[in-house]
This record gives sequence, C-alpha cells and structure tokens, in this order.
Amino acid sequence: MYVKEMVIQSLPLLIICGLGEIIAGSTLSGMTRMLEDIPGLIVVIPAIIALRGNISTAFASRLGSAYHLGIIDSDNMWNEELKQNIIGSLTLSLIMSIIIGTLAYISSIPLGVSPDPIKIVMIVVLAGIISGIILTLMTIIIVFLVFKKGYDPDNITGPALATFGDIITMLCILGAAIFVEVIL
Amino acid sequence: MIYRWKNIVKNSVPLLTICIVIEIMAGQILQGNQKQLLILPILLVSIPVINGVGGNIGSILGARLASGLHVGYIEYSIRDKNMHKNLAVILLIGTVAYAILAVLIYYISYLRDIEMDINILNFISIVLGSGVLLIITTSIVSVITAFLSFKKGLDPDDMVAPVVTTIGDTMGIIFLFLLIEVVGI
Repeated sequence: MYVKEMVIQSLPLLIICGLGEIIAGSTLSGMTRMLEDIPGLIVVIPAIIALRGNISTAFASRLGSAYHLGIIDSDNMWNEELKQNIIGSLTLSLIMSIIIGTLAYISSIPLGVSPDPIKIVMIVVLAGIISGIILTLMTIIIVFLVFKKGYDPDNITGPALATFGDIITMLCILGAAIFVEVIL
Repeated sequence: MIYRWKNIVKNSVPLLTICIVIEIMAGQILQGNQKQLLILPILLVSIPVINGVGGNIGSILGARLASGLHVGYIEYSIRDKNMHKNLAVILLIGTVAYAILAVLIYYISYLRDIEMDINILNFISIVLGSGVLLIITTSIVSVITAFLSFKKGLDPDDMVAPVVTTIGDTMGIIFLFLLIEVVGI
C-alpha cells in the first residue's frame, strides 16, 4: 500500500522544509523598515529566490547526471567538467540578476512606484552573486558527501537545496540591502 | 568534455527569463499590498511557507507521475486510477502539512513577539485556505505539465519543478490576498 509510504516519507520532509521557510519568512518579516525605505525591494524578492532555486537545482541535477554517466565521482571531482558547470552557474546568476533588477525597475514605473534603479540593480546583483557562490559551494559539498556514501544524488540534493537555499538567499538579500543603504 | 559553460548559459536563459517575468508580477502584487503586509508582519512570515509547501507538493507529485509514466504503471490518460490516487493522497498530505505549519507560524511569531493583531482561528483559516487552493492549483499544473511533456518526448523530471514553482509563487500570493479579503483580519 503506497499511501502509507507516501505519508511517512513526504509529510516529515514537508514539515522540515516548512520550518526552513518559517526561518526565511521570519528574516523577511524583520526587514519591514527596509521594505518601507527602499521602494521596489519587495518586487525583486520572489524573483531572486526563484532564480536561486532554479539555477542551483539544475546545477545539482547536472552533477547527478554526470555522476551517473561516470564523468565525476568523489575521487575525481575537481575536473574540467565541474569547472565549466561552476562558471556556467555563476555567469547565469550575474546575467539573470541584472535582468531582474532592470525588469523590476521598468515594471514599477507604470504602477506609480519609482525605485532608485542603481540601488535596486545593485542589491539584486550583490544578493544574486553572493548567494550563488555560497549555494554553488554548498551543492558541491552535498554532492561530494552523497557520492562518498554511494547514494543517488537525485533523491537528496533537491529538498536539501530547496530548504537551505531560501534561507541563505533571504539572508543575502538582507545583507545586500543593508550594504547598499550604507554606501549609497 | 560534455559541459561547456557557454552552452549552459545559452540553454538556460530563455526559460529563466520567462520564470523571472512571472515572478516579478508576483513581486508587484506584493508591492501593491505592501501596506497590509507591513501592518501584519506575520503575513510576511507565512508567504515563503505557503509558496514553499505548494511548490514541494507539485514537485513531489510531478516526480511520482514522471516515474510512473516512465515505468508504465501510470497510463497517459486523464482517467488513470493510479494518477487519481496519487493526486488524492498528495492533497491530503499537503492539507495536513499546512494545518501543522499554520499553528507553528502562529506560536513562533508569538514567541518572537512580532506585531500580530489577528485571531488564531482567522490566521489558520487564511493559511489553510490559501494553501489548499494553492496545492489544488500546483497539483493540476503538475499533472498537465508531466503528461504534456511526456507526450512531447521531453523528460517530465526537467519540466515540472520550474513550471510548478513559478506558477505556484504567483498563485500563492494571489490566493493569500483573496483569503485575507474573505476571512478578514
């Protein structure tokens, strides 16, 4: 009977992921002053978090496929294939962050909100790149540990990255917003 | 060498750009309702939870359907009994998860002493109501995406997660404000 199996395997995982999201949400609720002071900040938050999730799960799933194809394993991890993947993910983070900032600014104008374009783009790019570096490193470490244990990376990296990714990205947005407010 | 960074970038930019345009729309809905969110920060705590669980439910269902379609125990038919059963169980699991998490959000926010001028029953109704509407949506989107991509010869495993999370994020925020309107705060 797979109903029981589904409940036993999925419900605890959903609750743990939910607790992670409560931490991310609590970080967001601590930013109310900043959301008021920086118009447009709240517009970019769902986009940065979604971008981070999409790039890092795709990265992890490519590493999973590379493992199944026998291109990388725990003894032969730091090779050219992995480097190309890292450069690809970080380049994507940079390009897409610039697009997010620009789109958020342009779409705000007809809605009667006028964000500071430099501030918004800087916050998105900083948060995007820093969270990109942290999550890329984290993905490599998780995948390395999973290889070592001989598990299938496809089953583990997705939920693990989803839970940590949102918290780390939200903290990076908070950090980037504070930094930009201080220097500009 | 299989991977080249330029190809990774080139292949990913179109889909990511579509996702981002939709997510910016979600962001603009938040901006439009920012006053309400700032008055009641417990709603800000709830948004990632509602969207996160909704995305997970859609992705779990999608992965199960993808495996079923690949292996052959789920047929490409809207009447497939195994698909209906998976759908029913995942909706049940999602509803239970939202009920538990709504209570957790309320008490964690209470302990953190954040502004929360809202009755617990109203709060649970808002989270549970928007959550259930969201998982019904993400589940339907997941079934459609899994079936369509399977028919087109694309791997459902690659397609379901990005489609479900992107549509889920926007619909989650729309359902949240709908429920706030209906239940009242």
